[in-house]
Amino acid sequence: MKKAIILLGCPESPSQTPLTIYAAHKLTGMGYQVTVVSTPSAKKLVEVSDPEEYYIQNKTDIESCLDGLNPGDYDFLLGFVAKDAAVSYFVTFYHILNTKSLALVFHRDQEKLDNFEKTVRENTQADIASARAYHNPTPLRVRLDRALLKLENSDEQSGEVEKKMETHKEDEPNKMNKLDKPEDS
Amino acid sequence: MFCLDTYLRESEDYEIHMTRSGFKDCARFIEKNAPEVVHVNPGEKIVGARIIGIPPVPIGINEEKGTIMLPYTKPCYGTATVEVPVPPEEREKIRAVGID
Repeated sequence: MKKAIILLGCPESPSQTPLTIYAAHKLTGMGYQVTVVSTPSAKKLVEVSDPEEYYIQNKTDIESCLDGLNPGDYDFLLGFVAKDAAVSYFVTFYHILNTKSLALVFHRDQEKLDNFEKTVRENTQADIASARAYHNPTPLRVRLDRALLKLENSDEQSGEVEKKMETHKEDEPNKMNKLDKPEDS
Repeated sequence: MFCLDTYLRESEDYEIHMTRSGFKDCARFIEKNAPEVVHVNPGEKIVGARIIGIPPVPIGINEEKGTIMLPYTKPCYGTATVEVPVPPEEREKIRAVGID
């Protein structure tokens, strides 16, 4: 099963928690096993929002996660970037994991938003979904939907390639058998 | 083994040069004030902690004082520049993982 990690920043922004639940729901629907990594306070907000763990089953503390993180541990990184520190965390997770990534960049101040977006763009190959947002999660949710659709299409394409390769592999022994057969003389 | 998080919790023998700043300001401060600067990749383990930041992350080394100066980031508090005394072997380890 494919694994996705959702990296939360400081829970100061009201949009972060509902979008975490939303993104986890979407990614689960796309066949990902989702882990949310966050500070203890951001984790509490998620726990209260999803008390039965209907949407999010795996939650990890950011410090311990970072300590044991290795390249290839996850197939997809989704990071909330709404502060300078969150930019640093996202770039760090990106460089350790070296995997397909999406930065959800948001802030109420346009200058800061541009600055965060620029830093992520200059230091990673990650996709970026950004919007001026604070209380209202809708602008960011719309861009997240678009970015996840793009991910879904690329997953489907790589799935088809893998399937083709597997079919090719299955065909190969038959070909070999035919080749191994002695020619009728 | 030296562990930065434990050291900052349990000791008072360290200096905070900047606090609640942006990463770039802290990086600039280290570049300007450290006698020797080694650059490392983000995520590199330095004195037992993963370095958080934008590449290349500067780590300052002061052989005379026996200290290192590094950016220290927490999600809700931004980045601080801390200077901590570390054993000589830890300073050598930092030089060994440098990307300069």
